[in-house]
Amino acid sequence: MSGLSVGVDVGGTFTDLAAVADDGSVIAYKVSSTPGDQSEGVERALTRLPPGAPPVGTIVHGTTVVTNMLLERTGARVVLCATDGATDLLELRRQERAALYDLSAHHPPPLVPADRIVGVPGRIAPEGVVRPLSATAAAEVAERVATLAPDVVAVSLLHAYADPSHERTVADALRNRLPSCDVVCSTDVLPEIREYERTATTVCEAYVRPGVGRYVARLAQRLHSAGLPEPSVMSSSGGTAPAPVAAFNGASLALSGPAGGVAGAAYIARTLGIERALTIDIGGTSADVGLVLGGEPLLEAGGAVAGVPIALARVLVETVSAGGGSIAWVDDGGALRVGPRSAGARPGPVAFHRGGTQPTVTDAHIALGNIASTTMSDGVELDVAGAIAAIDALSARIGASRQATAEAIVAIVDASMARALRRVSVERGIDPRECALVAFGGGGPLHACGLAERIGVRTVIVPPYAGVLSALGLAIAPQRYITTASVMRVLGELGADMLPFSSLETTLRSNGHSNGDGGAVKHFARARYVGQGHELDVEVSPSLGVDGIRQRFLARHDERFGFTLDRDVEIVSVRCSLSVGGHTMQLARRGRSAWSDETRLDDGGELMGVVAGRATIGLPDATLLVADGWTARSLGIGGWALEAR
Amino acid sequence: MTATSGFDPLALMVMSNAVSMIAEEMGVVLERGALSPNIRERRDASSALFDARGRMVAQAAHIPVHLGAMPESVRAVMTQGPEPGDVFLLNDPYAGGSHLPDLTMVEAIGDGGAIVGFAAVRAHHADVGGMSPGSMPQGATELFQEGIIVPPVRIARRGIPVDDVLRLVLANVRTPAERHGDLAAQRAACAAGREGWLALRLRETPARLDAACEALLDYTRRRALARIAELGDIHGRGVDALEGDGVSDADVPVAAEVSVRDGRMRLDFTGTAPAVRGNVNCPRSVTRAAAVFVLRTLLDDDVPTNDGIAEALDLAIPAGCAIDARWPSAVAAGNVEMSTRITDTIFAALGNAGVAVPAQGQGTMNNITFGGVGWTFYETLGGGQGASARGPGPSAVHVGMSNTRNTPIESLEHAYPIRIDEYAVRRGSGGAGAFAGGDGVVRRYRVLERCTVTLVTERRRHAPSGIAGGAPGAPGVNQLNGKAIPAKCRMELEPGDVVTVMTPGGGGWGTGRESGIGNRESSVAV
Repeated sequence: MSGLSVGVDVGGTFTDLAAVADDGSVIAYKVSSTPGDQSEGVERALTRLPPGAPPVGTIVHGTTVVTNMLLERTGARVVLCATDGATDLLELRRQERAALYDLSAHHPPPLVPADRIVGVPGRIAPEGVVRPLSATAAAEVAERVATLAPDVVAVSLLHAYADPSHERTVADALRNRLPSCDVVCSTDVLPEIREYERTATTVCEAYVRPGVGRYVARLAQRLHSAGLPEPSVMSSSGGTAPAPVAAFNGASLALSGPAGGVAGAAYIARTLGIERALTIDIGGTSADVGLVLGGEPLLEAGGAVAGVPIALARVLVETVSAGGGSIAWVDDGGALRVGPRSAGARPGPVAFHRGGTQPTVTDAHIALGNIASTTMSDGVELDVAGAIAAIDALSARIGASRQATAEAIVAIVDASMARALRRVSVERGIDPRECALVAFGGGGPLHACGLAERIGVRTVIVPPYAGVLSALGLAIAPQRYITTASVMRVLGELGADMLPFSSLETTLRSNGHSNGDGGAVKHFARARYVGQGHELDVEVSPSLGVDGIRQRFLARHDERFGFTLDRDVEIVSVRCSLSVGGHTMQLARRGRSAWSDETRLDDGGELMGVVAGRATIGLPDATLLVADGWTARSLGIGGWALEAR
Repeated sequence: MTATSGFDPLALMVMSNAVSMIAEEMGVVLERGALSPNIRERRDASSALFDARGRMVAQAAHIPVHLGAMPESVRAVMTQGPEPGDVFLLNDPYAGGSHLPDLTMVEAIGDGGAIVGFAAVRAHHADVGGMSPGSMPQGATELFQEGIIVPPVRIARRGIPVDDVLRLVLANVRTPAERHGDLAAQRAACAAGREGWLALRLRETPARLDAACEALLDYTRRRALARIAELGDIHGRGVDALEGDGVSDADVPVAAEVSVRDGRMRLDFTGTAPAVRGNVNCPRSVTRAAAVFVLRTLLDDDVPTNDGIAEALDLAIPAGCAIDARWPSAVAAGNVEMSTRITDTIFAALGNAGVAVPAQGQGTMNNITFGGVGWTFYETLGGGQGASARGPGPSAVHVGMSNTRNTPIESLEHAYPIRIDEYAVRRGSGGAGAFAGGDGVVRRYRVLERCTVTLVTERRRHAPSGIAGGAPGAPGVNQLNGKAIPAKCRMELEPGDVVTVMTPGGGGWGTGRESGIGNRESSVAV
């Protein structure tokens, strides 16, 4: 490593920067985000590095560009080529309705409307081609596509995971007819069985790709002009990709920012020797919950962003609409409620002076005296009196005291976040009581003890740089490349070398992603019992052999579901990931601390503190609330470990 | 704004989250442990928590038909003199059950020698014996043909398993290993409910938890009553019919009269047909579930689901009619098709009373079973939802008492000798109107080897109605090699035969526009 490793994470309000130097020292700060063009805020953050800082070596960016494009539906004009008879897959989804009890609720509309879908006459079945696709027929398809004036064309045909030949034929015809138009084939995006998920993911890639490409190019240009190196972009898988590669993997950037947070939390857990941890990143409008197993973020395929299914492997992140800006209110039934409406960044909590008038979770914390410093990141003083007045107005309506009302607001928001933490762990057969809780983001340290008590966790870690941990996670993340190949064979019928790991690895390395043999390669098999409708990812090694793979699968199945079966195991697909680089930090408290037991302000300097609850500790950009019954000890790497007494 | 039942309104939502979380976890444990795809993938299962008096305080439901029916199971168990730690199994429609494939397990949660609550888990099992694989026979006329009947019997006494009954049940089903696994998962889910409930009692103290349950039921009831009060004094009647009972094609009328008096909603089903010979009857608990479901759809999404909803309803069901079936009437299809027709009829009554409800949806689950040597494949198909004043009806979804997912074409073709030649939105099948009804679907199956197909479908001759001047949706169509076949039938198929199922569209809302989507009934694909 030479020079600073910099992570820049864009959020709704702030763009966070964390820069790690060769000696492990960290520079971290926030600047305002620039929602019109995120890259402007990124550049601004990078050009504010203090004078005398080492030169910038690498830049990793966590972006919300893809999420925003999906939420606001501002992606490209896509035409989809699909098998005749199965052209309506995007509308049919999986048949479940949008809401169980709201019969008029609709799913968000598909990214491609019905009149931009072109049928392809060939048909492939599990046994092979049952209706051939001639070059002439493919040319006719291309002709009809051309009349629809696409920005990008997506091609997703039935059983293409098993036989990509028809997709290739259509793609060739399209490139011939529309040479300047990008073509995205499902086989290249996600060669796995299940047509709806594969098609939706392929269409998502086509939909966001041009926008991602433009954004990434603009960012690279800005940074180049400022004399900075080419940026990499964090992907949902927790690895980074250089800008030109990221531009062709748009759908994999949908969880760019949150993945950085879990990666950062996992790094801290690893450093402290913690194998299993639940992570929670609490911001202004939402909280992101993740799971760390064996010191690594849990990687799983599946999930949806803004109602668009993306079946690629991604760091597990469940988002809850609960945060500092969640609004407290009294409903028709006379109950105190918190959220789901949020004051967001604007107008924000009453205390933020930005025009907010409704009491929020942050205002409740202020009324309870939970906030250590009354000065915000941008130097503005909190409106303490305003926050208290808003809570008082609510308590008057309920007929309860200010204290009771504010405590109830915090308890309600804790209850909804605790539910997500339990769900994420229990659904995967993990007992939350065996996990530590890593709590970060602006609100994480405030809620950590309350959440831990609700889910039975006895150890809480508040990492150093808790307010910008996502950016730190970006700064240290390795580059990661993933390729997948379909298998769809029963394990018993496979010889050990019939799994195409070596060709996958060759592909990864020959794509110029690594110099020679560098980097760490991991191999995964997606497997299930024959007849099951879902798969498990099992990490394997190519030398493991059929029996070894079966044993790994059985162990994983038992852990996850609590039983094994006397039944054949089927390999659906295999995946190879190559990780290159990645940084380790010599995290340490540095310099003299101005800590005193009276003020309890942790400035990151050397200190040996033990604080018994109830107490507050001021952190940069956040407050740590040590609850009654908890003891906080300062960590040598910075941050705090809390134990229930 | 007053506190509820003396319980602190500040703590109500915290307690609501805490009890819902336990019910949710029971569901997670069940899905995690269950063997069969029907429970794990299609999620045809529910779990619920009850207080010591047998009132449901929280439910995690994927399937609305279980919504209001589980309390009957707990009531049935309470008549058996349960002791703390006893676990009961039941499926008898005439003693707390719904139809035989739904095996319900109820644990009496014990603490300090007393029963302090109940945990209940209901799951649709892929086979419980009887005259045909899958235990959803077409043409059954007696309950005995539909599978093994289990009244509420103990499978654990004071926490100690009693295996005798379990062995008897497993000896009567076609897939005992899978059943055994699924029942073990249900047992684990009940245990999770018990552990969660006891932990919550310990944390909150029993007195506070009891007060919280009271307050939660009261809160939901008040939200329901407030919504009913908004409707004003209304009165309306709806009449609809099932298209035959599987034995005869004669209509089976269903009638519902809705009225609101003094802030309570009353549903009177006088006029509904007497119990029929075939198996579209349903027990009272299923009728109650349908009524609770309809009221639930009128409430805001955030109202906690518990017995407080049912407490706002008065039901008058003529004794012994098709929706208050008596032993030994057959009921297998009643749970899926009659339950849907009951909701349709109540919605129609509400619409006639001037309540802004959606037009009728597809009104059937389109039950389709293929069976050959060594394999059975069962699925249900979505269709059109009715339009409402809020907009067009959603297309290609389950509209009422079900919400199971579809089977991917590639998975189906990989596993069974069936090819899907077409799976598409049935364009134009939604009824015209200012807002059009949702479209049904077309699914075309081509079989590669000799097998049978069993169809249990509805709305093939009586179309889903429109509302406020909207046109009806297109009725469904079943075909074999392009020729119409009955709504309920069993056919022998040869290799290459093609079965096509076109599901109904939803009814339209409001008077149609002159052009565009407003008037397109003529273009319905048949």
